[in-house]
Amino acid sequence: MTTRRMKTAALFLSIATLHGLAMAALPLDVAHAQEAPAAASLTITFQGITKASGEIRGQLFSSEASYGGKGEAVTVFAIPVTGASVSVTVPGLAPGQYAVKAFHDVDGDGKMGANPFGMPTEPYAFSNNAKGAFGPAPWSAAAFEVAPGEAAHAITID
Amino acid sequence: MNRRSFLTASAAALAATALSPDLLHAAAASAGGWTLAVADVEADIPRQTLRRLHGRAPVDLSGTLFRNGPAKFHRPGGSAGHWFDGDGMVRAFRVNEGQATLTARFLDTNKRRVDSAAGAVVTPGFGTPTGKGAQVASNDDVNPSNISVMQAGGEMWALWETGSPMVFDPVTLETKGLHTFRPDLAHMPFLAHPRVEPNGRVWNLGLFGKQAIVWRLAPGGSLEAAEPIELPRASYIHDFTATERHLVIVLQPWVQDHFAMPYMNSLTWKPELGTQILVVDKADFSQRRIFDAPPFFFFHLGDAWEEADGAIRFDAAMDVDASFATVGAVGIIQGKDIRGADPQLGLISLKPNGSVDITRAGLVGEFPRTDPRFAGANRRHTVHLTKGARDRPLMQAVAVTDWKTQKTDIHDFGPSQVVEEMVFVPRPGSSAEFDGWLMGTSINLLAGKTELHLFDARRVSAGPLASWQADVPLPVTFHGVFVPS
Repeated sequence: MTTRRMKTAALFLSIATLHGLAMAALPLDVAHAQEAPAAASLTITFQGITKASGEIRGQLFSSEASYGGKGEAVTVFAIPVTGASVSVTVPGLAPGQYAVKAFHDVDGDGKMGANPFGMPTEPYAFSNNAKGAFGPAPWSAAAFEVAPGEAAHAITID
Repeated sequence: MNRRSFLTASAAALAATALSPDLLHAAAASAGGWTLAVADVEADIPRQTLRRLHGRAPVDLSGTLFRNGPAKFHRPGGSAGHWFDGDGMVRAFRVNEGQATLTARFLDTNKRRVDSAAGAVVTPGFGTPTGKGAQVASNDDVNPSNISVMQAGGEMWALWETGSPMVFDPVTLETKGLHTFRPDLAHMPFLAHPRVEPNGRVWNLGLFGKQAIVWRLAPGGSLEAAEPIELPRASYIHDFTATERHLVIVLQPWVQDHFAMPYMNSLTWKPELGTQILVVDKADFSQRRIFDAPPFFFFHLGDAWEEADGAIRFDAAMDVDASFATVGAVGIIQGKDIRGADPQLGLISLKPNGSVDITRAGLVGEFPRTDPRFAGANRRHTVHLTKGARDRPLMQAVAVTDWKTQKTDIHDFGPSQVVEEMVFVPRPGSSAEFDGWLMGTSINLLAGKTELHLFDARRVSAGPLASWQADVPLPVTFHGVFVPS
């Protein structure tokens, strides 16, 4: 008997951001090349997937501002789910701090499912497996370091 | 140290102990005080055989009384802010061939995992603010699964009210996971008080402000329908009732009119609004009628029925305002007995001409339960709890009120017991209303142990037919069901 009167879906989780992921699904081989010499690539693996359908739709951010909705994502991706674990590799990154927001578009309809009261019904996750309270995980919890060379980051989803 | 100085040192230590409020509460709990009724349990209770205190169980009584309630409130880094925010623990009291056993197990909820790891109650609740480290991705992340239980085919479900049922194994009580009725209905709220028709069909509500969803489940728990309805106000609704043909939704003047945390702070008591009672045709939700009644606060209602003249009647445990919810139930887990008016049992009649009559039984009453074979049908008996004397905290007496004679039959356990909701168990092979037993639990404050009691439902003032005692005290539960073997 508690905080059921949660903020609407529009506020909760920055659903608008997640809907934005669906609307701008880029092909996997297109990534934003950095102006500076590219010194890193990042392979993001989504694991623990329990429903082998649809896509993992997500965004990679390189700043707290863009993560929070002020600015563009470095890349937007949609990975077809073929098993318990899928990956995407983003080349041409400058080393530094990054964060990921993603959801599993289980029914493949291109958008985050919601129940009649606006609560998300499809799984979602953030880098560092960070969780928020009544909203997205904060940048401070989700941000991770990408070092020069081949970097890897795993996120559990589902 | 010689004997004299040891005794002197002990006396000094006792004196120092008596000055600490926390230890005073602990001392009160251990010395037969009522706070044992809301004391923490730390671990699951493996199956134990209960000691029979007196009497004999009927030979044809065989089955399990499942009960649920919060059983963990305090953590080193911070405690729950409300009785309703403790971790849910299901208990199974099995009776067979005169023997009784007890098993108890905490529900493995996200809330319990997060709070355990944090060493503090950080998960927000009815009266608990959000703490540092809380992990809330949906309403089910704050779900304590701590109010009631329901049988769903071969499964048992632990119910909260603002999230999904939690499935547990009927034998081991092991948590199996949250139940989703359909993928697009994940995390939809499901009240702790479904109304079960005698044929096993289940009706329930899920609330979100003025919006509600009406759940209809087949016997066994599979989803038949989940239809939205609009309510005239955003009341706090813990329970609703139903006749054979209608849903009866009581909208009290405790309404959500702004957003605030924790949840109970978002509700305002507005008696000037009165109570609205919405009656909806089960077969066609557009057929609805609103009755206006005087303002009252309630948690619980009895099963409703329709008279030959079309009047709809049901009982209710009515209080004068929301102060038990906002003050009493906060203080109770701090060892404070903060008293309000106490809920009174009354019979509400919705007349065909639109008027509302309320007949009061004239005594304190809460936790009303009825004969499940008469759910939605014309009936006369309600078993409920009452107080043996008004100065006692919580409830000590079991009562059966007969609305036809307007008389109440009472057994008072006395001030050293706190009694919990009694459920009616039909005698196998019987068909008359209240031909059967009352089964329920109490906490014996002096013995420091939980007890199980069985009454003849038609002779409650004769006292229990049989009582058993566990070797542990468990804090009081809210609601349960009996599942025959």
